[in-house]
Amino acid sequence: MSMVPKRIMKEVERLNKDPVPGIEVDIVEGNIRYFNVIMAGPSQSPYEGGHFKLELFLPEEYPMSPPKVRFLTKMYHPNIDKLGRICLDILKDKWSPALQIRTVLLSIQALLSAPNPDDPLANDVAEQWKTNEKQAIQTAAAWTRKYASQ
Amino acid sequence: MSGYNSDGFMDEDYDDDAFEYSEEEEEFGHNAIIGNSAGASQLNNESQTETQPGVSADGPFYENDLLDDTGDFEPVLGSIKKKKAWEVDYMIYDPEELRAKQVNIAARMEPLLGISKEATRLLLRHYFWKEENLIEDYLSDSERTLAKAGLTAYPPPPELKSGDENFSCAICYTDGADESYLALTCGHRFCSDCYRTYVTGKVLEGDSWRIHCPAPKCKVLLGITASRLLLAQDNTVMERYEENLTRSFVNDLDTFAWCPAPNCEYAIECHVPRTAWATTIPVVECKCGNSFCFGCKFDNHLPAPCYMVSRWLQKCKDDSETSNWIKVNTKECVKCKSTIEKNGGCNHMTCRDCHYEFCWICMGPWSEHGQQFYNCNRFNEDSSKEARESISKTRQSLERYIHYFTRYNNHEQSAKLARKLLATTEKNMEQMQRELALSWIEVQFLRDAVDVLSVCRSTLKWTYVLAYYMVADNQKIIFEDNQSDLEMATEQLNGLVEDPIGQDTVDDIKRKIMDKSTYVKTRWETLLRDITTGLQENRWQFETL
Ligand SMILES: [Zn+2]
Ligand SMILES: [Zn+2]
Ligand SMILES: [Zn+2]
Ligand SMILES: [Zn+2]
Ligand SMILES: [Zn+2]
Ligand SMILES: [Zn+2]
Repeated sequence: MSMVPKRIMKEVERLNKDPVPGIEVDIVEGNIRYFNVIMAGPSQSPYEGGHFKLELFLPEEYPMSPPKVRFLTKMYHPNIDKLGRICLDILKDKWSPALQIRTVLLSIQALLSAPNPDDPLANDVAEQWKTNEKQAIQTAAAWTRKYASQ
Repeated sequence: MSGYNSDGFMDEDYDDDAFEYSEEEEEFGHNAIIGNSAGASQLNNESQTETQPGVSADGPFYENDLLDDTGDFEPVLGSIKKKKAWEVDYMIYDPEELRAKQVNIAARMEPLLGISKEATRLLLRHYFWKEENLIEDYLSDSERTLAKAGLTAYPPPPELKSGDENFSCAICYTDGADESYLALTCGHRFCSDCYRTYVTGKVLEGDSWRIHCPAPKCKVLLGITASRLLLAQDNTVMERYEENLTRSFVNDLDTFAWCPAPNCEYAIECHVPRTAWATTIPVVECKCGNSFCFGCKFDNHLPAPCYMVSRWLQKCKDDSETSNWIKVNTKECVKCKSTIEKNGGCNHMTCRDCHYEFCWICMGPWSEHGQQFYNCNRFNEDSSKEARESISKTRQSLERYIHYFTRYNNHEQSAKLARKLLATTEKNMEQMQRELALSWIEVQFLRDAVDVLSVCRSTLKWTYVLAYYMVADNQKIIFEDNQSDLEMATEQLNGLVEDPIGQDTVDDIKRKIMDKSTYVKTRWETLLRDITTGLQENRWQFETL
C-alpha cells in the first residue's frame, strides 16, 4: 500500500499550491491523514458570513474508501445532523477512488448552497425546511451568526 | 414468454407450463438438463415405502445429464412416484449446478440477442434473469437497453496495456510508460494495481457483476471477463467472486432460494408463484434433509399457509407471557391432586398415586378418548357462548387462544420427547443385548415409527393454527373430525412406541407398531389431501387477518 501515501502527499501538495476558494485545509500536526478544515459559508445562502469548522480523516483504505468528514460547528441544515455528520452520496455508496479531498470539500460547499430536505439526515430540520422554508432559512442564518462568526 | 418460445428456444426450466403436469406424469421429467441432483418432492416418511428400487432418496441418477444446447429435452424415465396433492415441484442445485445453470441460460440467450457473451450475461443479470422483460426491452430499443445497463454490444476483450508516457492513474497518481493500466469502453484509465485493489475490495464486500468503472459517476460495468483477468493471481478472491456471482443469481431470482439450514450450500428452484401461497404451501426438502417452506423459509408448516404462520408466530411472541405458564410440564391430578410430570410424548397419563387415567391436554378421562363423541381437539364455542355474560371478551379470546396454543405447543413438545425416548430406547436395547447375550433386535421399525410421529405431530401442530383462524361452521366440524382422527391415531402410535420392549414381547410390539404406522400414515395423507383441496376450494372461512 505504499502507493496510498504517495497519493495523499500529492493531494496535500496540490491543495497547498492551488487552494480551493473559501476553504482552508490544515494538516493536524504529526498526522498526514487528519485535517482541520475551515469552510466559508457560500454567498446567497443562510450560511453566508459564517466560518464552519470541519474535521476530515483519511482512513487506511483511502482512496478505496471515502474520507470521513464531519462538521464541528453547530449547523442548522437538513442534511447535517446534531453530531455534524453529513448526508452526501459521494461520502457513501457513490464514492469513487478517483474523487479527492478537493472534490469532497467542494461537494460539501455545494450542499450548503443547496440543501436537500428530501434526503434528510436531520428529520426535524428537514420537516421545517419543507413546511416553512422561510422560517428555516432564518433559523439557519441565526445559527450561523450565533455559532459560526468568530 | 410466448414471443420466443415459439421460435424453438423453448425454455424448459422457466416455462411455467413445464411445471404443471398431470398426476400420472412422472416427477423428474424436466430435470435432465440439471444433472443428478434433480429434486424429489417427498416427505421423509414416504421415501421408506414408496421409493422405487434403484432410486435413491436423493432422487434418480441420470446417465445423460449432459447439457442440451438445443433446448429440447427428453423426459427421463426412471422414477414413478406420483405427486401428492399437497406436494409441489422443485429442483435442488449444488453450487456447481448453479454455475452451469447460469451458463446455460446465457448460452441460450446469446444467439437470441445477437450480442457478445459478455454483454449477454451482464444484461441478463441486470434484468434479474427476467428473460421476457429483457427480450421485450431489447427488441423495442436495443441500444438504450444496453446503455442503461452500462454495456455495449461488443466490448473489446479487456486487456492490460502499458507504454503510454501520458498515462497517469487518477487513483494513486503514479504515471509514466511503465505503468500497466486497464480502460473500459468509457476510456477511463486506472493502473492495474489500483484496479486490483478496487475490485478486491468490492468482491470482499459481496459485489460481483455490479462492479463498475471506478471513475466518479461512470456506470460502465467492469464485466466478468475483466474481473477474472484482474483477479487471476488471487485464488481466494477469485473464488469469492465466483461465489458472489452465484449468490446474486439465486438472490435475484424469485424462483430460487437458498436452503436456510446452517452451512447448507444447496439452492432450490420452485415455481409456485407468490400469489398461490395463500392456498398452496410450497414445502420443499433439501438434499441435506432440511424440510422447509420455499415461501417464508420457515420450517415445514404444512398445512397452514404462510400468512397464517407468520401471524400466528407473531401472536405467540406477543403473548409469550401468557403462554409461558402453559408450557410448564407439570400438572395436578384432577382426582387426587398429586403432581404429575409429563416425561413422554404420549398424552395418555396415569396418575402414579390414584391410577386415574386422563388426557394431558384436556384433563378429561382417557376412557372417553378415542370414542366418536369425545372431542379433545375442538374448542367448545357453545360453552363460551353461555359464559358470555360472565366472562369478559378479552378473557374469552384468551381462553380460545390458549385452547389452540396448548394443542399446538403439545405437538411440538411431544415430537421432541418422542425423539428423546427413541434415543434412550435404542441405548437400552443395545445394553440388553450385550448383557443378556440376546439376539440382535432390529430397531429400524422404531426409528421409522418416530419419523412418522414427527411428521404427523408437525402437521397436527399447524392444523391448530388453521383451526384457530377458522370461522366456526359445519365445514370446520368436518375439518376437526379429520384432525381428531389423525390425532387419536398418532397418540395411539405414540403409546405403542413408549411401551417397554422385552425380548419376549418384541415381535408382537414390532408388528403392532408397524401396522399402526401404516394406519397413521393413511390418516395423515387423508388429512393433508383434504386440507389441500379445501384451501384451494375456499371451503373454509378464515378470520380476516
Ligand atoms: Zn493507480
Ligand atoms: Zn468509466
Ligand atoms: Zn439444505
Ligand atoms: Zn411458508
Ligand atoms: Zn391421582
Ligand atoms: Zn383430551
